[in-house]
Amino acid sequence: MDTVFIGEQLLPGKLGQFFVVLSFGTALLATLAYYFDSIRDQTDGSWRKIARFAFALNFLAVIGIGSSLFYIIYNHLFEYHYAWAHSSRSLPVYYIISSFWEGQEGSFWLWTFWQSILGLVLLFRAKSWESPVMTVVMLSQVFLASMLLGVEILGIRVGSSPFILLREAMDAPVFSRPDYLSLIADGNGLNPLLQNYWMVIHPPTLFMGFAAMIIPFAFAIAGLWQKRYEDWIKVALPWSLFAVMVLGAGIIMGSFWAYEALNFGGFWAWDPVENASLIPWLTLIAAVHVMLAYKNSGQAYFTSVFLALISFVLVLYASFLTRSGILGEASVHSFTDLGMFWQLYLYIAAFKLIAIGLIWARWKSLPFSKKEEETYSREFWLFIGAIILVLACLQILATTSIPVFNRIFGTEIAPPTEVVAHYNKWQINFAIITAIISGFTQYLKYKKSDPKQFYRQVLRALLISVIATALTGYICGIYTNVGYMLLTFAALFSVIANMHILYEAIKGKWKLAGSALAHVGFGLLLIGAMVAAATNKVISINTSGIGFGDAFAKDNNPRENIILYENEPVIMDQYTVTYLGDSTSGPNTYYRVNYKVIDQKTGQITEEFDLYPNAQQNAKMRQIIASPDTRHYLWKDIYTHVSSVPLKEEEEHEPHEGHTDEEDYGKPVVYQVKPGDSIRVRDAIIRVKSVNRQAKIQNIPLSKGDVSVALSLEVFAGQKTYQVEPAFLIKGNNSYDFGKTIDELGMKLRFTNILPKEDKLELSIYQKPKAEKNWIVMKAIMFPYINLFWAGAIIMTIGFLLSIFRRNKELKIT
Amino acid sequence: MKKSSIIGLIIIAVSIGVIISVYADSSTYGDFDDAKASETECYVSGNLDLQKSMVYNPQVDANYFSFYMKDKGGKVCKVVFFGTKPQDFEKSENIVLTGKMVGDEFHASKMLMKCPSKYNKDQVEVKSTSAT
Repeated sequence: MDTVFIGEQLLPGKLGQFFVVLSFGTALLATLAYYFDSIRDQTDGSWRKIARFAFALNFLAVIGIGSSLFYIIYNHLFEYHYAWAHSSRSLPVYYIISSFWEGQEGSFWLWTFWQSILGLVLLFRAKSWESPVMTVVMLSQVFLASMLLGVEILGIRVGSSPFILLREAMDAPVFSRPDYLSLIADGNGLNPLLQNYWMVIHPPTLFMGFAAMIIPFAFAIAGLWQKRYEDWIKVALPWSLFAVMVLGAGIIMGSFWAYEALNFGGFWAWDPVENASLIPWLTLIAAVHVMLAYKNSGQAYFTSVFLALISFVLVLYASFLTRSGILGEASVHSFTDLGMFWQLYLYIAAFKLIAIGLIWARWKSLPFSKKEEETYSREFWLFIGAIILVLACLQILATTSIPVFNRIFGTEIAPPTEVVAHYNKWQINFAIITAIISGFTQYLKYKKSDPKQFYRQVLRALLISVIATALTGYICGIYTNVGYMLLTFAALFSVIANMHILYEAIKGKWKLAGSALAHVGFGLLLIGAMVAAATNKVISINTSGIGFGDAFAKDNNPRENIILYENEPVIMDQYTVTYLGDSTSGPNTYYRVNYKVIDQKTGQITEEFDLYPNAQQNAKMRQIIASPDTRHYLWKDIYTHVSSVPLKEEEEHEPHEGHTDEEDYGKPVVYQVKPGDSIRVRDAIIRVKSVNRQAKIQNIPLSKGDVSVALSLEVFAGQKTYQVEPAFLIKGNNSYDFGKTIDELGMKLRFTNILPKEDKLELSIYQKPKAEKNWIVMKAIMFPYINLFWAGAIIMTIGFLLSIFRRNKELKIT
Repeated sequence: MKKSSIIGLIIIAVSIGVIISVYADSSTYGDFDDAKASETECYVSGNLDLQKSMVYNPQVDANYFSFYMKDKGGKVCKVVFFGTKPQDFEKSENIVLTGKMVGDEFHASKMLMKCPSKYNKDQVEVKSTSAT
């Protein structure tokens, strides 16, 4: 125990751990102080002073934790487990930032950090709402701080500290040595899949969205608690839009990362981790809509409260799913379990109970509306739209939660084997209804609209949409599928109706622009997602290969991967695709794949580009981690990734004794040639230029009567030309030949005989079997119209931003 | 009937539909015998049998990979996956297959591998040194 370890820097860790404990303590103090101020325990505002002081300290502590951890990772202090597990010396600075949040602890920190920043904004902006709202926010801060504690309380480990030393986290004999640190060369490094620029910015955005979700929740709670039942909605509205915008942007970034860096070939896979962040986003969007309905008509009060509350509970549920290890085999990219199952569970339980308890206590005094909504009113359809979104969430939630049901009921149900199809068949219907409602509701007024005028406007939009749908269906080639056509129609209807509103907005009613733009974006996003998912085409279909019986071919034999040998073109769809070799840069190997479009008639190349899908080869682990490369066009993407490559170390085996190098080559092909002849071999053309009768052979002096002849050959392969001169020698009564090899081509040329009778020369050509040639197995997918998806997402985000400005402005006026 | 009751009924109907569909589309975890009996797509998990041969020859067919897996009950069965061989496959501790039995072979449409993660590895890589 008393070993003095050499070279450890213990200060940053001690400091960090101090900040962790400080952040927990101050968060607890701030919660209590804000609570007592909210219930007006003292009227002189002394509690609020204490609370603000505690909050400020908490803010500093959170910054302190982050700085200490960053210092540790940045300086490669591998005596700390976190630095050792998530970073390495070779990582560039911007990926050091990503390794910061690769682990659970770092991502929890990110969450507390954003919650602190948002708390700071609330401190200045929330005015009369500060104390009750901040009570809730700081309570959440207490829970988050506890996740980083890493201390044992009554024999139970609470949280997981990022400042644990490597020798404390692990048990290995090396740690008994005082100089163990000098033996640890490098950290484990960052998962190569996360070494992508999107991973620098996607997690902060996503966690900012998660953190922002607490604000509508806190306002709803504060409204119930302080019996300010109606005021909270107006104040919470811009905050809710902010959370929706940021979380939405975070989800889309994740989707873009999956598309750019993962090779499952798509942008959305209905993975439980993806679903977990989508569900609260959808419920909060529903919440925003009913909050608007309530604000303008006094209807749908309870739905607003309920959705604002449930959205944050679902955020907590999402973090429970991804962090508790409960997903286990169901998801490939959830975090590893850190043994915080019950702590995470407690976090959800606490917030759920607070919400249920307050609703229960205030039920009798809630401002329910007595009268029913008019059918021809905007609030009614806002409400219906919200209900549809909630049902869509319910469906996603039900299937995503299968592992949770298994845990509760002790069952062993497996998720659907065709997950994507299972979700799509439900979600396509929800999307159709939502899109249609989001279109025609724009023509309705709050409280009561004139049906005649409504139908006139809707009819016009409908007519345009029918024509637009027919055109789109024809262009995208989806007209054979009723579901796709219906969705296209619904989305186009929404786009057209909202464009109409946008047109009005530009003419003067500027405040309508935000919502119209967001809905246009949503419509485009739906069309883009649907068309790209429905019509993406694997173009690397393998036509060779052995048969496995027709039964399987019918079932599911995609044969989606194709082997490409270096310099051997293969036709895929309209492209002539050639693998042109690899190059290594850092840990990555880039495979140069050339795409050409050759005009059938003229034989001219009309288009040419290279893609560089890469694979990180890890010889130690004997694995590759492949990342795709994509050619982006305005209307389509060509997406390429390698699925299998020869491992580097296997390629280079040393030539060893007792082994003629001829063994590496296949059987020779013997030709009888004379100058001027050309021979076509597998991937080269050999031209016999001339016969060199004065050939000199190194180290062999020629005596009189010896004959030494060489064949001057030109070998054309691809763009390269090689000059070689295999020689033939007759010395005394023996003949020898001196072959030449061209390593790049895996070819050996021998001048094996002179045939005076035929006036020909004998040339033997050896080629290495194909296996020795460089190859890659790759997959190429064409994604049509995927840019509509990204464009839609961006337009929607801008729409949200404009809406935030509008709702914020309304707040100041009243 | 009031509008709110109609809406309520629709919500209940859809919710029931959702639950039924989760149940209907859900699959089962089983072993090779179950897969053979059910003849439908299901999940089988087990361990790679390294004693028997693993075949992946991209030169012959880039979409054919076969290996032997031992299921939870200890039964060994040949598995065919019509895709490329994951390169770290030998290292996987536990494999979850999605697919069905065709004759005596299990045809997998999806494979999920659990590899020893960094956390569980509990091995520190140490620079080579003469002293011990």
